[in-house]
Formats: sequence, structure tokens, C-alpha cells
Amino acid sequence: MKHIFQVFRYEYLTCVKNKAFIITTVIFIALILLLSFVPMIVMSIAKGDDADGEAEIPVIAVSSSVYDKKDLENNFQKAYENYEIQVTDENTDVIKAKVDDATYDFAIVIKDRLSYTFITKNNSMFSTEGELDTIGDTIKNLYRVSEFEKQGISAKDSEKILNSEVHYETVTTGKDQTKNYLSTYILIMILYMAIIMYGQMVSQSVVSEKNTRAMEMLITCAKPTHLIFGKVFGSGLAGLTQLILITGTSVISVGAISSQSIPDEIKDIISFPVQTVIYALIFFLLGYFIYSFLMGALSSFASRSEDLNTLISPVMLLFVAAFMIVVFSINLDGVDSTLMIVCSYIPFTAPMCMFARVAMSDVAFYEIIISIAVQLISVYLFGLLAGAIYKIGVLMYGNPPKPLEIIKLLITQHKENKLAKSQK
Amino acid sequence: MELKLDGISKNFGEKEVLRNISLSAQSGHAMGLLGRNGAGKTTTIRIIMGVFFADSGTLTIDGKPMNRSEIRIGYMPEERGLYPKQLISTQLIYLAQLRGMSKKAAAESCDRWLERLSMSEYKNKKLETLSKGNQQKIQLAATLMCDPQIVILDEPFSGLDPVNAMLLKDVIKEMISGGAIVLFSSHQMNYIEEFCESIAVINTGKIVLQGKISDIKRSYPRDKISVTSPQAEKLTAFLLQKMSGDILTANVDKNDRSMITVQLKDPAFKSRMLREISDSHFDIDSFYVNEPSLNDIFVQYTEVAV
Repeated sequence: MKHIFQVFRYEYLTCVKNKAFIITTVIFIALILLLSFVPMIVMSIAKGDDADGEAEIPVIAVSSSVYDKKDLENNFQKAYENYEIQVTDENTDVIKAKVDDATYDFAIVIKDRLSYTFITKNNSMFSTEGELDTIGDTIKNLYRVSEFEKQGISAKDSEKILNSEVHYETVTTGKDQTKNYLSTYILIMILYMAIIMYGQMVSQSVVSEKNTRAMEMLITCAKPTHLIFGKVFGSGLAGLTQLILITGTSVISVGAISSQSIPDEIKDIISFPVQTVIYALIFFLLGYFIYSFLMGALSSFASRSEDLNTLISPVMLLFVAAFMIVVFSINLDGVDSTLMIVCSYIPFTAPMCMFARVAMSDVAFYEIIISIAVQLISVYLFGLLAGAIYKIGVLMYGNPPKPLEIIKLLITQHKENKLAKSQK
Repeated sequence: MELKLDGISKNFGEKEVLRNISLSAQSGHAMGLLGRNGAGKTTTIRIIMGVFFADSGTLTIDGKPMNRSEIRIGYMPEERGLYPKQLISTQLIYLAQLRGMSKKAAAESCDRWLERLSMSEYKNKKLETLSKGNQQKIQLAATLMCDPQIVILDEPFSGLDPVNAMLLKDVIKEMISGGAIVLFSSHQMNYIEEFCESIAVINTGKIVLQGKISDIKRSYPRDKISVTSPQAEKLTAFLLQKMSGDILTANVDKNDRSMITVQLKDPAFKSRMLREISDSHFDIDSFYVNEPSLNDIFVQYTEVAV
């Protein structure tokens, strides 16, 4: 235990004092500060634009022979509050020319009571459709009012009938998946990147110890299991320190600098409930331990950092698969699909799956506890396994063995240990 | 204190690495562990260090099973290894702590050893900025910092300049006179002869020769005589004529023309030969029994089996 603590302390301090580590942390914090200023900057630029635009209100030309000019102007003005509506008698060619030279933003030529021509300079993919809907609704309205009038219902009454709206509100008894969707997505991305990043940090550190042969000394001072536990815990705490620094900065900076200038939609995305953040940290740690034990153990077979990728690729594939399951489930079947439920109890997928479920849906507390328990047990078991692999790996130089060979070596070692113990 | 290995065997899978290794080493003495590359020296050392379990056999200190948490061991691996990008004091203190020292004691010991090896100025430098020889000295400091009762040195002299080699010799002699058990593995026989009273030669996992160096040498027939004289050629002719029945060969050394090597039929003829020479009027510089060098013994015992 004493050794684990000593290795842990050393690894943590080495990590935290590492230049690359400090630089990444600083860059991340700087980026976050910068990003939290962005809404403010964008807003002020947008405001500047508005001020310039007051002199020139865009013009929409409406020409019609079938509807009353006054009605046309009123109705379209209602639909386009920020535009000037010009009801015109000009013929179509003149209107087209004026749209082309930007006198009119766009023009609507109503030929018939229920048909019109939309004249625009550039037919953009998204905005036009919206315009067509608005124009269609406006004309429909005009048509209906005039029809009602024929039936003897006054324009005022008919408008009342037509504009009657159903009021509604949604009561969500659980969690609002639509609202949590983006925020969860962001947290899962962070979880994914953090686990992979710190896991690789462990791998790198194992390989460099072996490469520099510092391992030759270490292995004679402490048990391999203690070495890898200390290393994984140390790097994990270093990772946690970095994460807390970064999230702390974001919370403070978003709160202090830009809370006023951020639109509510964005606020919803970046404001996570405290509980979710705590769960994110818990599942980060669990996922980190599970994966970094395996990655660290496998990296011990690498004599050079070139061998590293080949060795840890099975674990990486597993991890990417777990990530895919979560992402696809969120987008396709929702987080409460059978696949997600099953996966939230499988050690490899549990950290991200259970987190997604906790964040986006309602999960019974006992389910969370079971999942965490399963993960804790696997962390312990993977730790022991990692220790056993580590013991073989760190003294093996040359070409790294294939996965099957590793299993064979483990079995042989287990038998030898048993033999040695039985003799004692 | 006595470190004793008794009947240690070790297999790696199918491969038999050590077979029935038995040896013992006492406090205040150095033992040379010799063997060709891959003979099993490092495995033996690793078993002593507790990195591997032996498949069979026992490892005892004064007759009791070795408890590594009570015994301080200093180990200098042949593959030198420390953290190149770490400050020297930081890693020395870390390693000493892993060997069971308190942080304070480790820091004191670190200062003391850096001072002893005249490396104090590098205390807060990164290891990679040092020359190879100086890195070697740091490695030595890392080995000896815990004030070990057992010191295992694997090729400690490689890469050292003569001045640093002298320093290391002094340090090793200090350790020996201070009562440590020193296990010394090297291929440089002159160092082995200088420090070690006894040796153990391992070949393909077995001990093929063990004992005090002087005893081993004495066990060889003392029938090879070297004589140096400025009149070597004439003396050779004289000896061949006078003792033709007792001498197998007598040759003047090809490189040193003043030296004659005589192979006698029986060691007992040695004194007669001395008498003959002293009765004659040749100018003699030296007359001695030509003992086999450690190198010759090593080659003799390890050449055959591989």
C-alpha cells in the first residue's frame, strides 16, 4: 500500500509538472475564456449592424389585382414586421428588374386569388421555403376573410375565428430529453476524449519507463501491481485536476462574463445540472480506470513507442464501439433502448451508456448503484489483471506478443505462481 | 549476515533457465558472479531481488527465508535506467523511498551521495543533460542511497573513465569493509580479481565452478613456469639441454623476447629447475609459477558447454 501511494504521488507530481500538461491546460482555459467572450462580441457586432440598417428598411413589393390594397398591405405588414411593404401596380417585368437591382428584397405577384409568383434574386435553399410558407399563409388568410365576407361574416369576426389559437403547455414528469440532448452530447464527447487522452497518457508513461529502462530499477523496488495501480491513480488524479480546472474556469467565466449576453437557447445547452456534472466526473473516473488499466498493461509489452498503437488497438476499438453505441442510441432509439440498458451494466460500455441514461432520462437510483458497483468491481479485477500482465510485459523486450500469446503467458504465469505458493 | 541460495531452479515455459543453483555470500565479502551472455546471471539476480519466484529451491538470510521488506538491497542493473527528463534529486529521493526510506532520510542520503560522488552541482538538473559517465554515477547513487546490506552490481564499470572507475572502486571497497554483501557481475576479469574473494561461474543455468579465487587457482597443476631474463634465448637452450627429460616444452614468448615459458612434466621438477638456473650464471629477473588467469579459467569452464 505504501508503494502504491509513493508511486501515485510521484506520477501525479510528474504529470502535473509536465510542461506539455501545463501548456494544454493553459490553452484550454484560454480557449474557454475566449469562447465565453464570443457571444458578447457577436451581439455587439450584430447590434452595430442593426444601427446601420435603420436607414434602409428592406422593401417587399406586392402586386395584386384581386385583393384590396389596404388588406394586402395590412396582412403582409403583419407577416413581415421588419420590412416595408409596397403595394405596387408595376408590371411583372419592371418588378423583376427592380428585384434584380435590389430595390426590392423580393416581390410577390398575386395573379389569382390562390396563386402567386415569388420573385427573388437568389434562391437560397433554406430561407426561401420559410418565405413561401409565410406568403402562402398570408394569402390564404386574405382569401378566407374575403370568402367569409361573402357569407356575411364581418372581416373582424372572421379574423377572430381564423386567428383563434390553441394554447398548450408541456409538463415533463421526467427529464426533458429534447432539452438535455445537446448538453448530454457535449458531456459524452468530453467523457470520450478525456478517457482516451488520459488513458494514452498512462500508456506513454509505461512505454517511456520501459524504453529508458527505468523499469529495471522500479521492478526491483516495488511489485508490478503496486506500480501500475500507483501510475493509473496518479495519472487519473492529474487528469481530474485538469478537468476540474477547465470546467471550473468555464463555469466561472460563463457565469460572470457572459451570462447576460448569451441567448437562452445556448444557455440551455451549456448549463448542466450540478448532479449531471457530478455523475460525469464519477463515470469519467470509472471509465478511465477500466480503460487505462488495460491500456497501461498492454503497453508494457511495447519496447518502443512505435509498437504502442498495435498493442492497444483492441482496447481502442472496444472504446470507439462503446462510444458509437451511445451516440447511435441517443440519435435513433433514445437512451432507454434495450441495448442501452444492457450496455449500462457491461464494464466496457457502462461508463458512457449509464451516464447518457442518467443525464437524459430517468434511471432508478438502484440501477445507477448496480452499474457503478459492476464498474468498481471490474476496475479492481482489471487492476489485478493489469498487474499480472504488467509483470510479464515489463521484462519482455523485442517484438511484442500477439493477444493469444499474451493469454498463454498469463496462464503459464498463473500456474507458476500457484506452484511457487504451494511450495511455500 | 549470510545470503544463501539453495537449489534454485527456474523455467520460463519450456525453457530451463536455472538448474539447481546454490551459492552463498557473506557480509564484508564480495562475490563475483560470472557467466557468458544468457547464462542465467540476470535471472539469478532477479530471483534475489524478488522479481521472479524460483520454481524450486530456497533463498535464505542467516538461515531464515528472506524478507525483502526488512533487508535493504541496492541493485544496479546492467541496463541502466532512470528517468531522463526528471530532476536528479527528485528521482533519487523517489527511488530511495520505494526502497523503504522516509522522505527526510532519502533527501539527506541523496545530498550525501551526490557529495561523495562529487555530483552535487547536478542535483537540480535533468538526468538527460549529463554525460554518460555522470549518468552512471547517478545510477550508482540510486543503488547505494538506501544504505544497502546487500549490493548487487551488474557491470558497474562500463562507461566510466579511469578517474571515475577509481572513485567507484573506492566506493565498492568501502561498502565491503562496511560489512555489506556485494554481488558483482562483470566480464572485466581484472575488476573481479581486484574485489572478489570468491566467484561463482554460471554456464547454461548451472554453476560450473565456485569457490575462493586463490583456491581455484591453486587447484590447477603448478607445472607452468615463467622465467624472465635478458638472455632468454641462451637460457632456453641451456634448460632444454640440462633438463631434457623433465621439460615438455620451453619457448621464448613471441611478444616479450625476454620471457620464457616452460611446461614441466611434473610440478615436482620446479625446485630442480630453480636450482639449475641459480647454479648457472644467467642473469635472472624473475622466476614464478604461471597461474592460470581468471580469464583462462572462465573460458575453460564456459567454452565447452555452449
